[in-house]
Amino acid sequence: MTSETPILEARNVSRTYRMGRVDVPVLKGVDLTVAPGEFLAVLGASGSGKSTMLHLLGGLDRPDRPANGTEGVFFRGRNLSGMSSSEINTYRNLQVGFVFQFYHLLPELDVLENVLIGGMIRHGRFGFGRRKSELHDAAAELLKSLGLGHRLRHKATALSGGERQRVAIARALINHPPALLADEPTGNLDRETGMRILDAMATIREQMNQTIVMVTHDPSIAERADRIVRLTDGVLVTEALEASNT
Amino acid sequence: MYQALLTRRYLTSRVMPLLAALAVMLCTAMVLIVWSVMSGFLGMLLDSGRTLMGDAAITWPVAGIPYYEDLMDRLEARPEIAATTPTLETLGLIGLPDGSPEIWTLIGVDGPSYDRVTSYAETLWWKPIDKPLPKDRDREDLRLRLSNQYYDEGLALTEQDLETGDEKAAVVPGIWATGYNRRDIGGWTNARFRFMPDAELTISVLPISQRGAAIDVAARRFPIANEFQSGLYEVDANTALIRLDALQEMLDMNAADRVEAFDPFAVEIDEEGNETFVQPKAVGVEPARVTTVMIRAADGVTPQVARDVAEDVYEEFAAVQGMEVPDPQFVRIYTWEQRDGVRTFIAAVKKELALTVALFGFISLTAVFLVFAIFWSMVSDKIKDIGILRAMGASKPGVAWIFIRYGAAIGVVGSILGGLAAWLIVSNINPIHDWLGTAFGLTVWDPEIYYFPQIPNKVDPIAALLVMGGGVLFSVIGAIAPAIKAARMDPVRSLRFE
Ligand SMILES: Nc1ncnc2c1ncn2[C@@H]1O[C@H](COP(=O)(O)OP(=O)(O)OP(=O)(O)O)[C@@H](O)[C@H]1O
Ligand SMILES: [Mg+2]
Repeated sequence: MTSETPILEARNVSRTYRMGRVDVPVLKGVDLTVAPGEFLAVLGASGSGKSTMLHLLGGLDRPDRPANGTEGVFFRGRNLSGMSSSEINTYRNLQVGFVFQFYHLLPELDVLENVLIGGMIRHGRFGFGRRKSELHDAAAELLKSLGLGHRLRHKATALSGGERQRVAIARALINHPPALLADEPTGNLDRETGMRILDAMATIREQMNQTIVMVTHDPSIAERADRIVRLTDGVLVTEALEASNT
Repeated sequence: MYQALLTRRYLTSRVMPLLAALAVMLCTAMVLIVWSVMSGFLGMLLDSGRTLMGDAAITWPVAGIPYYEDLMDRLEARPEIAATTPTLETLGLIGLPDGSPEIWTLIGVDGPSYDRVTSYAETLWWKPIDKPLPKDRDREDLRLRLSNQYYDEGLALTEQDLETGDEKAAVVPGIWATGYNRRDIGGWTNARFRFMPDAELTISVLPISQRGAAIDVAARRFPIANEFQSGLYEVDANTALIRLDALQEMLDMNAADRVEAFDPFAVEIDEEGNETFVQPKAVGVEPARVTTVMIRAADGVTPQVARDVAEDVYEEFAAVQGMEVPDPQFVRIYTWEQRDGVRTFIAAVKKELALTVALFGFISLTAVFLVFAIFWSMVSDKIKDIGILRAMGASKPGVAWIFIRYGAAIGVVGSILGGLAAWLIVSNINPIHDWLGTAFGLTVWDPEIYYFPQIPNKVDPIAALLVMGGGVLFSVIGAIAPAIKAARMDPVRSLRFE
C-alpha cells in the first residue's frame, strides 16, 4: 500500500436486495482499497455478489446506507453518495469504464458507433460535431489495437462473442477513464481468446496507466492481476497467498 | 447527439414505428380532408350568398317601395356604395313547355344594373366557351358551338320576335329549374331533350292588394332567353329571373295614372248628347314599385358598413318622400349574411364545421394512444439499451429525449405524408367522386342536399399547418409517458433485464 489517495475505496459497503418481504443481504460490509495503477482481481463463486460490488464501484447502484460520510464508495476520496445526479453521470462517463459481463452492445449500431457513443454522451451535439473526425480516428485506432480494424462498419449483432467483448472494452476506454471495471471479461469465451483479451487489456493499461478492477470466478484468469481478493459471504478477504500457490 | 443517431436507427430498423407513422398519417389526412371539404362548403355558401343579392339590401315585401329610383340615386351618391339595382320578388306558377306546372320564385330584375350588383352575367350558362372542359372528353358541350346572341339576350332579359321584330321581355330560369338539363358524367351540364333558350314558359302571378289579398291572376307567355347557374342548388332549381318591367306590369306595380275616387255607375251626357259612363279623372301618377333595392358596397367597404349607410340614406329618403314610402322604422335593411334563412343556415354550417373537425380531431386521439402503446412496448423492448446508456453516463433527460425525439420524428413523417395524401385526395375529390359514382353507383355528395354541384376541392394552407402541427404534437404527447418511464428506469435493473 502506498500513501497515495486510493483511486477507489469501499468502506463497510452493504447491499441488500428486497425480495418481497424477505431481505437478501448480498454484500455485508465490504472493505476495499484500490491504489492508482493497480490491477486487482476479485474472485468469487457465482452469485456471491461480484457484479453487485462492481456496480456499486461504478456508481450504477447505491449501497444500503448512503451518505453517512465515512461509509460508502469513494473515488479519489470523494463519497459517491454525496454526488448530485449530474456528477454521477459525469463520473460514469469519464472516470470509470465499464465492461459488462454480457457485452451489452447496442444492437442497432455498428461497431464504430458503439464505441463512439461514450464520446457522444461526453461532448454533446456540438462538441461531438467539432471533434468528430478526431474521435472517429481514436475509436478506429482503439479497435485496431484490439484486432477489430476490419469490422468497424459491421453491426454489433454480426460479431462473435470474443469480438463483442473487445468492442465492449474499446467502448469502455473511449473517454480514457482512469479506472476500468471489468465484469468477467473472459467469462463467456474460450481460454485462448480470453488470454488474448487479457493481453490486450494489459497493453492498453500500460499505455494509459489505468487502474483495473476485474471480476472473475476463474483463478487462472485472476492470476494475471497484481493482487487478488475473494468475495465470500458478503465480505472481501485477501487471497494473495492462495493465488501464488496455484 | 446519440439521441439523433439512435432515433434514426430505431426508426429505420423496425416495423412498429412505421405503423405508428402510418396511423398519424391517416389521422392527419382524415381531419384535413374533412376540414377542407367542410370549410370549402362554407366558403362556397358565403360566396354564392353574396352572388345572389350583393352586399346589402333594402326590402319592403308585397307592397314594395315607390320612388325607388330616387332612393337608388341617393344611395349611389354615397362613396361607400358602388352600385344598386331594383328587384321585385314574387311567387309564380310556371307552365313548362310540356305543360307540367311548377311553383318558382320569380325575381324581376333589370339585367345590366343587376349584373353590376351581383355579377349576374357570370352566372349566365349559355354563352360561348373557347375550350372544352377537361371533363368534357367527347366535346359534346353545346356551348362550344354557341353564338353570343344567347348571352346578350340573357343579360338584357329580352328576346327579339323573329316574325315581328319586336323586343319581348324574356325569362332566365335557374339551370336546374326546368328539369330539361342534365349533369353528365364528369359534372358538366348540357341540354337534354330540348334546348331551353329556344323554348317558352307560361308564367302566372297573383297581383296582391295592399292588404295581401289576391286581386286577379295575370298570365303571360315568355320566351326563355338563357339560363343561369348561381351554384346554390336551391336557387338554381327554384328560381327564374324576369325582366323587371314585365313583372311590374303583371303585378300592377308599374307606373300608372292615379285617379280620383269616382262612382263607376255615374253617367254623363257628352257633347253629342249620348249617355256615357263617367271616365275617371287622372290626378297624378301612381309610382312604380319594387320590393327590394340591392346594394353593392364599394371596394374595401364591408357589407355591414354598406348596410349602415343604406339605413342613413333611407331615413333621408323617407323624410323627403313622406308618408308614401314605407316607414324607416319598419323597412328591412340587412346585409346578405343577415338575410332570412341564410343567417341561420350559415350559423348552422359554421357550427357543423367546428363540430366535425372537433369530432375527427377527437377520433385522432387514437393516434396518441397508438403512439403511446407502440412506444411503451418499444421502451420495454429497449430496456437494456437504456441501462447501457445510463451506465455510460447518459442523463435521465437525455434518455427521455431519445423517445420524445422519436415521437416527434414519427409525427413529422406521418403528418407530412398525411398532409400530402389529404392534398392529393382533396384536389382530385370530384374525379374520385365521379369515379365512385360510375364504378359503384355511390353518390355521397348529392347536390340536392349540399346545394352545390361540385365538392369543394381546396386545402386551406393554414388548416393544413394546424392539422399537421397537431399530428406532431399528438405524437410527442404519446411518447411522453414512455419517455418518462425510460428515464426513471434504474440502470442496474435495466442491465439485468432479460
Ligand atoms: N435486483 C435483484 N433483486 C434480487 N436479488 C438480486 C438482484 N440482483 C442480484 N440479486 C442477487 O444477488 C446475488 C448476487 O448477484 P450478482 O449478480 O452480484 O452475483 P455474481 O457474483 O456476479 O454472480 P455471477 O458470477 O453468476 O455473475 C445473487 O444471488 C442474485 O440472485
Ligand atoms: Mg456477475
